[in-house]
Amino acid sequence: MTITMTHSGVMPATTRIAGGLLALALGAFFIWGAGFAHAAALHDTAHDVRHAFGFPCH
Amino acid sequence: MVVRYLLATLVAGLFVGVVMTPVQYAGVIPLILHAEVYEQGGDAGPPEHAAGLVAPAEAAERAAPQGVRPIPVHATAAAPANDEARANANLFASRLIGTLSANIVTGCGFALMLAAVALLAGRRITFANGAFWGLAGFACVALAPALGLPPELPAMPVADLTARQIWWVATALLTAAGLYGLVLRQETVAKIAGIALLFAPHLVAVPRPADLSSPIPPTLAAEFAVASLATGAVFWVLLGLALGALMDRFGSELT
Repeated sequence: MTITMTHSGVMPATTRIAGGLLALALGAFFIWGAGFAHAAALHDTAHDVRHAFGFPCH
Repeated sequence: MVVRYLLATLVAGLFVGVVMTPVQYAGVIPLILHAEVYEQGGDAGPPEHAAGLVAPAEAAERAAPQGVRPIPVHATAAAPANDEARANANLFASRLIGTLSANIVTGCGFALMLAAVALLAGRRITFANGAFWGLAGFACVALAPALGLPPELPAMPVADLTARQIWWVATALLTAAGLYGLVLRQETVAKIAGIALLFAPHLVAVPRPADLSSPIPPTLAAEFAVASLATGAVFWVLLGLALGALMDRFGSELT
């Protein structure tokens, strides 16, 4: 198993969870904007990327 | 600490987003441009031109045989509102810049989500295991959704967009949860539940178009599906490795 078990010793658990949730929300927002938003401007700008990544398009 | 972790994540996403742009121009974008010729009802030329090994400039030229600039305007049966050509609403003057910026946003978005999962699971992404983290991401948002909704070209027949997006997101989330149970948890029950979650989305009916007739040649569609998955795999392995390298570099200060 290459995935090593490394529990965070330095970072407090609350910081870790809060940071993780923040990163998850921000990442999801980016992906929604680039890959899923129906707005014409976002669709047309990201058109080739949406197709390349296999996001559902038009 | 957590701020530096997130900044390192954004650097990885930025780097991979920039690197992926020429990779896409070498692999998938010539096929998209080729498909747009069929979308606009044009003749795309002899069949050998369907090959993917086409220089981007040549493909762009071919995509505009009568001097028509290829713009992402779609006329599909699923979206009758788009039947009439509308102006291209690209935020940037150049299609290349639009693609580059969308790649950077997508790279940062997926980097943040992958790093978030590692953070929440209490695991560290390293250069040594980065490729596996990346491949897990590939499985969740490329491979598993592609089993039901293969990467599609413009003008291919499609079902309702929102229905497909819901199935796609649900499949990605269930696959991620399944991989978490199968790989990161030690309990037998979690591993069995993980396997069940991996299969679950594929037992639900995928939104499919009622009419499968398409102006796109099947060989072009097949070539694109493979090129898209291969490009996605490159993206995810690079992203995992880049995240791992940055976490190794700043690791002692991060977790």
